[in-house]
Amino acid sequence: MNLIDLLRMSSANLKRRKLRTFLTVLGVIIGTASIVVMISLGLGMQEAMYAQVEEYGGLTSIDVTGMNSYGGGYYFEDSEQSDPAKYLTDDTLEELKGISHIEAAVPRLTAEALLLKGKYQGWVTLIGLTPEGFAREKIELAEGSSLPDPKAGELQMVFGNGIITNMYDKNGGGGYWETGEYPDIDFMNDTVFYILDTDAYYQTQGNSGMMGENGEQVKPPKKHIVSASGMVDGTPDDYNMHYYDVYCDLETLKTMLKKEFRGKVIPGQPSTSSGKPYNYLVYSSVKVYVDELDNVDGVQEAIRALGYNTSSNIEYMESMKSQFAIIQAVLGGIGAVSLFVAAIGIANTMMMSIYERTKEIGVIKVLGCDLKNIKQMFLMEAAFIGLLGGVIGNVLSYLISFVINRIVSAEAILGVDGSISYIPPWLALASMGFAVLVGMAAGYFPALRAMRLSPLAAIRNE
Amino acid sequence: MKKVIEVNGLYKFYRVGDSVVRALNGVDFTIHEGEFCAIVGTSGSGKSTLLNMLAGLEKPTRGEIIISGCHIEKMKENELVKFRRERVGFIFQSFHLLGTMNALENVALPLSFRGVPKSIRLKKADQMLNLVNLSKHKKHFPNQMSGGQQQRVGVARALVVDPDIIFADEPTGNLDSHTSEEVMHLMQKVVREQKKTLVMVTHDEHLASYADRIFHIMDGKIVRIEDNREIHKEEQQEKKKESEEKDHEKE
Repeated sequence: MNLIDLLRMSSANLKRRKLRTFLTVLGVIIGTASIVVMISLGLGMQEAMYAQVEEYGGLTSIDVTGMNSYGGGYYFEDSEQSDPAKYLTDDTLEELKGISHIEAAVPRLTAEALLLKGKYQGWVTLIGLTPEGFAREKIELAEGSSLPDPKAGELQMVFGNGIITNMYDKNGGGGYWETGEYPDIDFMNDTVFYILDTDAYYQTQGNSGMMGENGEQVKPPKKHIVSASGMVDGTPDDYNMHYYDVYCDLETLKTMLKKEFRGKVIPGQPSTSSGKPYNYLVYSSVKVYVDELDNVDGVQEAIRALGYNTSSNIEYMESMKSQFAIIQAVLGGIGAVSLFVAAIGIANTMMMSIYERTKEIGVIKVLGCDLKNIKQMFLMEAAFIGLLGGVIGNVLSYLISFVINRIVSAEAILGVDGSISYIPPWLALASMGFAVLVGMAAGYFPALRAMRLSPLAAIRNE
Repeated sequence: MKKVIEVNGLYKFYRVGDSVVRALNGVDFTIHEGEFCAIVGTSGSGKSTLLNMLAGLEKPTRGEIIISGCHIEKMKENELVKFRRERVGFIFQSFHLLGTMNALENVALPLSFRGVPKSIRLKKADQMLNLVNLSKHKKHFPNQMSGGQQQRVGVARALVVDPDIIFADEPTGNLDSHTSEEVMHLMQKVVREQKKTLVMVTHDEHLASYADRIFHIMDGKIVRIEDNREIHKEEQQEKKKESEEKDHEKE
C-alpha cells in the first residue's frame, strides 16, 4: 500500500467521527499551547536579559584584574612567603597583546574623589580611560558635551547622569535619597571642587588639632576646580551603566595622582613591604575586547594562565542561562502535564476507534491488507491528531503571546525593554514535532492492538 | 486438469472447557481449476471451520492444505496475508463493505493493498461493476444500496484482484430468496465466464445445487460428494436448444 492511500484512509477515518476528532485535537491544542506559552515566558525573560547584557558592555569583553586584588582596586600586600602579586601595568598590556583574538586591551585606573559644591559634597569614583577606551566604551553624551581632551593639561571630567544623586548636604540636610529633590548643581557651568587626597581632607576637617598619625601636622589637601567636559546623556531618572561614574583621561589622572601624593602611597595602589610606593601606577582593571563570542572562553583561559583574574558577562550569562533553563523546564513541565493528559485522550480515542472498527480491520485483513499497513494507518491517524493539534496550538500560542505582550509590559515586571512572551521559530517547530511524537506514542499501542486483531473474530457474523 | 486445492487428512480440535470438540475429523478432497464447489452442512457441522482454514484464517490441528502448490498450514500470519492479497478473493455473508467508501472505491480497495495506482485500480473496479450489472450505482455508498446490490459489489471486490480462488461464506445468508437466486446466478455466470474456482459454504441444499460439485459435511467429515456437472451441462444444452428454437420461431 502506498503512502497516499494510507493517508487517504486515515484522514477518511478521522473525518468520519468529526466531533470526536475535534475533541481529541482540542486536548492537544490546549496541551501544545500551554507548553509553548509557558516556555515563551521563560524565553521572553531570557531575551530581555540578553538585551540588557548587550547594553551593559556586550558579551565579547573581559574584565581583567590583578591577583590579590579585592573589590576592584584595593590591594593588600601579603607576607613575603605568598605568591608575588600580579599587578596590571603597562607590561601587562604588552603581555595581553600576545594573545590572539584580542582586538583591544584597554586599561582603566580608578581613584576615589570627593566633590564639593557649596554645602553639598559627594563621593565619586574617577575612572581614567585612554582615548581608545572612550571609543570602546561608547558613552552616549548629552548635547554640548565632549570627551576629555588628553592634552588639556587639566583633569577634564565627564559626569554620569546620576552623579547628582550622590551629592548630599554635609551639614545634615541630606541628599536626593532623603529629600527626594535633586540638589541644584550644574556640573557643566557651576564651580565645583574636587579633592583627591580625601584622607587628608577628613583629618583636617575632623579635628581642629590637625594631627596626623605620626604626630605630624597634616596639610589640608589641595582643592581643584572641576573642569567638566561633558555629561552622560539622560536625566537622573534614566539608569544606565555610566550612571554613577565620572570619567577622565587616564594619563592626566596618572599625572594628577603622582603630583598629589608625591612620596606617599596613593590609596588603592600597592606598596612595598616597607610601606613605600612603587615608582609606577597599577591599573585597576583592563578591559579586553575579543573579536568573536566563541573565542571569549579561550581568551579568558589564556589570560588566567598569565596569572590574572578575569570576569566577563559570559560567565554571568552562563549562570543566568542555567537558571533560565531551570525556569523553562519548570514552566514547560507545567505545560507538559496538559499535553500528557491530551496524550491519554489520543490513546483513548484510538482505542475506541479500534473497538468500533474491529470488523472493518478484520475485513481488510481478510482482503489482504498488510499487517504493517494496518499499524501505519492507525499510527498516522494518531500522528495526524497530534499534528493538527500542534499546528492549531501554535496559532493559539501566538495569539495568547500577542495578547500577553499587549496587556503586560515587560518593563513593569522585569525592568527591561522587550516582550515578556517570545516564541522563536524553533520553539514553534519543536512543539509541533513534539505534538506529533506524543500523538504517535499515544497511538502506538492501540495500533499494535489493531494489527494483532484476529481476522476471524472480526468477520464472525454476529 | 490442474489441482487448485488439495486437502489431506485435515483435523481441527477445539478445547471447550474440559472436553475436546472435533470440528474437523479427517477431511480429504481435491478441487480443480474452474470448479464451482459448495460445502453444505448444518450449523456445527464444521463447514465454516473448513472454509476458514482454506482461506488461512485459522490454523489446522493436523493435516495439510495445498493451494496452488503452497502449503498454507505452515505459513506465518504476514505470509498468509500476502497469500490472500495475491491469490484469494473473499465474499462475506454480511457483505462487509467499508462505509466510508462508495461502491467503486470499495471494489478498488483490495488493489490498493497491492499498491496499484489509483487511476488503474478505479478503471479495473469500473469494469468489474459493469460485469455485475451495477453500472448505475458506482458512486453510491453502501447505506444507499439494497442487500443484493451490496453483495454484487462484494462479488466485484472478490473478482477485481483476479484471484486463483474465490471463497464465499454463506454469500446469500443475509438476502431474501429472490435476491439470493439472482446473486447465485451471477456467481455461476462469473465462474463460467471468467474460469474462476469458487468455493462456497452454505446450509441451503437448493442454493448448493448451483454448484458443479457439492460436498456434504457432517460432524467434521465429508459424507457425500455430489457431482452436478453432467446435469448442469444438460440444463445448459436444453437452454441453448430452447433459445435456438425461440430464435427459429421468431424467424
